[in-house]
Amino acid sequence: MAARDQHGVDAPWDQGFRVVGKENRKVDGLAKATGEAIYTDDIQLPGMLHAKMLRSPHAHARVLSVNTSKAEALSGVMAILVGAELPIRYGVIPWTPDEHALAVDKVRFIGDEVAAVAAVDEDTALEALNLIEVEYEVLPAILEPEQALTTPEPAIHEDRKRQDNISKHVELAFGDVDQQAQDADIVVEEDYCFHSTTHTAIEPHCAVAQANSDGRLTLWSSTQITHYVHRALARVLELDPARIRVIQPCLGGGFGGKSDPFSLEFVVAKLALKTGRPVKMLWTREEVFYAHRGRHAMQMHYRTSAKKDGTITGVDAKILIDGGSYSSFGLVTTYYSGQLLTGPYTFPSYRFDSTRVFTNKPPCGPKRGHGSVQPRFAFEVQLDEIAHRLRIDPIEIRRKNFVGEHTHTVNGQRITSNGFLQCLDAVEEATDWKNCYGKMPFGQGLGVAGSMYISGTNYPVYPNKMPQAGVQLKLDRSGLVTVFTGGNDIGQGSNSMVAYLVAEELGLLPQHIRVVAADTDLCPVDLGAYSSRVTFMVGNAAIDGARKLRKQLVSAVAEHWQVDAKDVRFIEGTVVDLSDASRSMSHVEAFHLAEEMFDTLGSTGAYNTPTLGGDYRGGTIGASPAYSFTAHAAEVEVHTETGRIEVKKIWVAHDCGRALNPIIVRGQMEGSTYMGAAEVVLENHFLNRFGLHAGPSLLDYRIPTSMDVPEIEAHIVESIDPEGPFGAKEAGEGPLHSAIPAIANAVFDAVGIRLRHLPFSPAKVLAALHAQKELV
Amino acid sequence: MLRLPKFSVLHPSSVAEAMQQMEDSQGQGRFLAGGTDLHPNMKHRLLEPKQLIALAGIEELHGISFADDGSCRIGAMTSLHEVATHPRLQSSYPALCQAAGLVSGPQLRHMGTLGGNVMLDTRCQWYNQSYFWRQALGFCMKKDGSKCHVVEGGSKCVAAASNDTAPALMTLQAELEWAQANGQSRMPIANLWQADGIWNKKVAPKELLVAIHLPAPSAHHFGAYGKLRDRGSIDFPLFGLAVTLDCNTDKTILSAGLCAVALQARPWPLKKAEALLVGTRLGDESFLAAVEQVAALASKQCRPMPNIPGDHEYRQAMVPVYTRHTLFAAAENRGPVHLL
Amino acid sequence: MRVFHLQVNGDTVEVAAPEHWTLLEVLRYKLGLTGSKQGCDKGDCGACTVLLDGTPTLACLCLAASAEGKAITTIEGLLPAHRAQGGKGADPLQDAFDRSGALQCGFCQPGMILSAKALLNQNPNPSLQEIRQALAGNLCRCTGYTQIFEAIQAAAKEMQN
Repeated sequence: MAARDQHGVDAPWDQGFRVVGKENRKVDGLAKATGEAIYTDDIQLPGMLHAKMLRSPHAHARVLSVNTSKAEALSGVMAILVGAELPIRYGVIPWTPDEHALAVDKVRFIGDEVAAVAAVDEDTALEALNLIEVEYEVLPAILEPEQALTTPEPAIHEDRKRQDNISKHVELAFGDVDQQAQDADIVVEEDYCFHSTTHTAIEPHCAVAQANSDGRLTLWSSTQITHYVHRALARVLELDPARIRVIQPCLGGGFGGKSDPFSLEFVVAKLALKTGRPVKMLWTREEVFYAHRGRHAMQMHYRTSAKKDGTITGVDAKILIDGGSYSSFGLVTTYYSGQLLTGPYTFPSYRFDSTRVFTNKPPCGPKRGHGSVQPRFAFEVQLDEIAHRLRIDPIEIRRKNFVGEHTHTVNGQRITSNGFLQCLDAVEEATDWKNCYGKMPFGQGLGVAGSMYISGTNYPVYPNKMPQAGVQLKLDRSGLVTVFTGGNDIGQGSNSMVAYLVAEELGLLPQHIRVVAADTDLCPVDLGAYSSRVTFMVGNAAIDGARKLRKQLVSAVAEHWQVDAKDVRFIEGTVVDLSDASRSMSHVEAFHLAEEMFDTLGSTGAYNTPTLGGDYRGGTIGASPAYSFTAHAAEVEVHTETGRIEVKKIWVAHDCGRALNPIIVRGQMEGSTYMGAAEVVLENHFLNRFGLHAGPSLLDYRIPTSMDVPEIEAHIVESIDPEGPFGAKEAGEGPLHSAIPAIANAVFDAVGIRLRHLPFSPAKVLAALHAQKELV
Repeated sequence: MLRLPKFSVLHPSSVAEAMQQMEDSQGQGRFLAGGTDLHPNMKHRLLEPKQLIALAGIEELHGISFADDGSCRIGAMTSLHEVATHPRLQSSYPALCQAAGLVSGPQLRHMGTLGGNVMLDTRCQWYNQSYFWRQALGFCMKKDGSKCHVVEGGSKCVAAASNDTAPALMTLQAELEWAQANGQSRMPIANLWQADGIWNKKVAPKELLVAIHLPAPSAHHFGAYGKLRDRGSIDFPLFGLAVTLDCNTDKTILSAGLCAVALQARPWPLKKAEALLVGTRLGDESFLAAVEQVAALASKQCRPMPNIPGDHEYRQAMVPVYTRHTLFAAAENRGPVHLL
Repeated sequence: MRVFHLQVNGDTVEVAAPEHWTLLEVLRYKLGLTGSKQGCDKGDCGACTVLLDGTPTLACLCLAASAEGKAITTIEGLLPAHRAQGGKGADPLQDAFDRSGALQCGFCQPGMILSAKALLNQNPNPSLQEIRQALAGNLCRCTGYTQIFEAIQAAAKEMQN
């Protein structure tokens, strides 16, 4: 049974929320602040070896031979691994397993892994890499997506059914978009570009493996997806998954950059099995740039039709997606590029035609706002263009086309709660929009945009009918509740959410709860931290599990006091009798009573999505049990002398259903917003003419410093979703999307230039300003 | 982790001892000042000295002192932070302090030294990369290869001088004091540079920069530093310009200094531009007119190349903008110029 | 190998490590003080920031040999130092970071907190601009810095009371 059927959105003890909605500390905050928290590279095991990767210097080549004999002879080298020893392919999406841990036949981008060495220390391993001789047959490299589209040869992946360089093509149509265009009062049709950007979590990828004498294998990895890594390891290593344990230690940021299985995980595991010693591999920052899985560059053509009054009648999109060298989540990316645009606005006709191609570049994947940030940029700018041409206020046109709540979108997605109008109201008021928009001096401007995002998806990457999220709870005689969850806390605070929810449900405080997470030996499966699913799904599972225990606790106390169960109330760790104010006990005593009555106390909780999605191929991709909604407004100053866009302030209003902890929600909103803003004016994951990353370092890939962030003002909107945990929805990815078009639209308000090709470098702005002058 | 190559370290306590150790290293030695440029370059295998000679423990290399005549000696190991924040330096040599204060971020200004910034290696997008990266490229003439990827078919390395303080010291006519194998020497900083990105100095790395000497500022000295960069911190200059103006009591310019950086191998003095400013009066029409002429001239004389990251045509477009703003900032005592 | 004589968080330690190791490697892999993080390899991110004689220093660009004779403070040193002065709980800065939501993934925070510590030691009541400047060598990817600024302002206020 889906957990949603059991939960309400109200406080569980009819006394208002005691934990939820409060500014509680995080369960791991002090551990992180004091340096106690253990991240993967902090793990050191006795006798541990250090491994390094040999990488391809060619963008596209056949690997003819790998000779490791000289390297093997080097003192201190314990094992060398080549592709032939790990011949089984993997990929996070089971339909597209096109990666090898180490190249078997071909290398497909500069930095692709070819061989690995385990040695007594990193210096020795590095020395050994230089002694490995690889013979390559260099092939022509495809660096541009148009080239991939028109050049089936050489196929970057030769062993697929398709003999071309198309990774995925999706075309879906709803309603008659061409007819609507014909009948429309206005049609706006333009090209938009979104460049590639990358996650840049400050922690580089790291993995440590230990093979026990009895054949068990433990892998500690900086991953967002313990469960999928577990499955992939079993598959590639051909081991019984019951003998593999995957643990995610504290994670130093992910943003989607650690949500694929990565070569280092297989390599350290295999090397540990080979050598009988623990093995660690820590990637350099440069290697992290090669691992990438960042934002896909997209070339987008949009045609939007509307009536005079601003009613949108049709949206037609054609998108070319640069996927880089492997599939990663590409199948989903291709769907998401179209499927997630159908809110917060309604339109009667919609069509998208998206093609993801392979190129000889680091593979793209899911970066915060997977697949939908790029189309959102294009569409929200186009909507601004329509509003401008029709002389309709940009906020009004967004209100006018509001899709509504408890409804369905044109592509069959079910919308439950929807606070988008309140989001618009919030930024309208906070910006003093009516007095400022269109009325600021030349060079200064305001822009607005809206968006929606999923709170998890009902599409598990491998088809199964088991729960998407599970938890186990254990009650200790000390009064401690331990919650075991497969969910991955990647810094977003999901473990804290679990603690808050269980504490609320049991009438305890967060300090009574300990969360053990992301350890496949100990924790029930959760699918991982992607698609903004953890708080929603693990949260629901946690409430589910806690509710079962609550019934036992209450009945044990009721029995003891000989009162009606409804008179027993747990308040922050104290149990009181509503029928007799003089009577109370600690929750510890209640635990003891319950254990006497029911034996050892524990429970499980689970969540699965209801049946969702349109009844067509791909209709479940992008179908979410609840959607979050966001509106951004940005104030910019365009410096006409330097071409710099100074983002002075961003207002972000986000409908997160219910804020389980407003500080953490605000942190997600501000972090998302800043990351989006940086994609507009600073960041560029750029490959040069040789197919080399132009600057694979934190010096040359420019993420904002403390001097570069705009003021950000966050407004939380609570629509109380009927299916979220106590009404909560996601907050970690949605609030990135519309920051980008809001800035673009503010630039138009400031100087009247319509920028459609990201990033908005100062040079591009200057060129546009000059072109504008010439027109005048 | 990106690893340092293996080496041993010596910790001399006097200049003489350091020089002897360098001599003994038989060409394998390198002086270690703050390490903020040397260590990343070593991690990238751009340099692999077997012997590091750490200068931190040499007392005479540290400190800022003023002579009775108002001239100043800055020990080469004085940190950029000290230079940037020293009150008397700030009033005497604003261009220098502003430039030092815009180098990288706070930690690197504490670690990095003025001497180290003078001796900073030239930078290039095809050079400041890991060994793996450069190997994939096929290397370049500055290190391990023969080609230039900036200028196709180029025969001379055009890696860019990227030291913010160098142009400031040029305009201040600083003198550099060296310890050499055969004794001490002093030279005007203008004589240090050569137009070769591989090694843009006329002094070999085995010679030790001991101190930077600055002549006493004139009674009415103005200065500023302008720095083009993408972010408000950390980044090397995409273009840098130091300006000094020495005036008489009525603010008529008696002499001017302009020097740019982040163009080619050496800092780039704008001599003709200096002459255009002399005789004009700060704030007057004459000055405004001269600023425009100087900006136009700087555009012609400063030719950013695609050597360091960033769009070189944009950098070119910013030359007159930064020239103008930095001149005005100097005249109005409100540098540094860092337009965001 | 060489024996380094270091003063770490008030303790005098002798530790043998290869001569070319940085202070960061010795702290993390020889002394087990893994609170100092490594994010960029070469002095760009500030995650490895420690205090040397109170000055924020990048341990990834500082040789272990160069840290001899200096008082090294790592993130692990703050709480015990606070307790030694009769304080309760964690250092007020650490506590404020926790309360303010400044810790998301937490990876940049040891360096960030030490940069902030050096700032507040010099300037107990910094402006927002001064806070921004003091943190300008510490990259954070989670927060957008806003809650970090708030944490430092909160800690400054608390420490003054």
